[in-house]
Amino acid sequence: METLVCSNIAKKYGEKEVLKDVNLTLEKGKIYGLIGRNGAGKTTLLSILSAQNPASTGEVLWNGEPVWENQRALNHICFSRELTPQPNGSTAGMKVRDYLRAASFYYPGWDAQMAKELLEKFELDPKKKLVKLSKGMLSMVTIIVAMASKADFTFLDEPVAGLDVVMREYFYRRLIEEYTQTNRTFVISTHIIEEAAEVFEEVIIVKHGEILLKENTAELVGRTFRVSGLAETVDEAVKGLETHLPEQIGRSKGVTVCLREGETLPGDSGLTVQPVNLQNVFVALCGEEQL
Amino acid sequence: MNEILTQEKSIYLQISEMIENDILRGILLEEERVPSTNELAKLYAINPATAAKGVNILVEQGILYKKRGIGMFVAEGAKEMILKSRRSAFYDSFIRKLLEEAASIGLGKEEVIAMIREGEPKGSDEV
Repeated sequence: METLVCSNIAKKYGEKEVLKDVNLTLEKGKIYGLIGRNGAGKTTLLSILSAQNPASTGEVLWNGEPVWENQRALNHICFSRELTPQPNGSTAGMKVRDYLRAASFYYPGWDAQMAKELLEKFELDPKKKLVKLSKGMLSMVTIIVAMASKADFTFLDEPVAGLDVVMREYFYRRLIEEYTQTNRTFVISTHIIEEAAEVFEEVIIVKHGEILLKENTAELVGRTFRVSGLAETVDEAVKGLETHLPEQIGRSKGVTVCLREGETLPGDSGLTVQPVNLQNVFVALCGEEQL
Repeated sequence: MNEILTQEKSIYLQISEMIENDILRGILLEEERVPSTNELAKLYAINPATAAKGVNILVEQGILYKKRGIGMFVAEGAKEMILKSRRSAFYDSFIRKLLEEAASIGLGKEEVIAMIREGEPKGSDEV
């Protein structure tokens, strides 16, 4: 099976360690959600996976071949970066059309028909300069590049940032359609977790430069619960379990529990046990310091 | 009180039900102060007006009462009031649905009654 594997990837910018010993295997034909707090290392990880950025240590292999400076491998990998055109930057005078043409030269599988169709769907003017586009319009351009690249491994970094809710829904539907027709692999980072939860077969959570977990989304959500009730009863019930985000108000207490293999919650204990959603899981695992 | 809010019903109803549940379970005691509207709003990250709406339902029913300048308190006899109203709603909230589902899968009343008899009286020592 086609895979993209990174082993023992670390990345330092000066003294700052952005990624620490990351090991990750991406399989062909899956949609992965990449979620993490701001600054967790998501974009750096994607840029290293796509050889747009060298790792300080470690290696990325596409079907066993290193991807670094390997055009054969890179023909199968697309990282459509978030566009942030600066008035004096390299893309300053560039029009949407020019940017898409550049992408079409880069990706051998480029689907010009699809690019055209998406431009129309998004009602984007190809003659417009990148610097003149709104945040949502820039997201549309990165989506077009990602979709039309036809790359086997396609990474989208916050593709829905700035998009209105109708366009976000359209994007996820179009993504699913493309996925079912082609079986491409997509890695999608987003901060708007809940609306994408049903799209992600697996979720990769990045925390402080490390992969906190990579797991089937339904399984992760299915083994996580919010347990609440009388504080002593809650404490007794969750003893020895992995708990997060305790909250107490008076004698009432709530805590998020992630059950590990073989663990169960005691029944009949007068407690409320509620299912949670992916966003709740993420906040429990990554938000503890702030909340 | 530390449950998470769901999409299934209005937030203010969930707030009032959670307070009721805590009174039933002895987490909130009679004549004890309940969290303020602002505390509830902060805990669930909801608009204080929504939290107030949930609390006010219970005030109207006499389950909570206001002490001016101090806050909301659980009324004496609150637990009994909640038990009474929940019991009278029990048929509509549970039994009716139970019988509907039983009928739709071809289970007769006698079979359902037999199941109830055999069933463990889970949590019956609570309440």
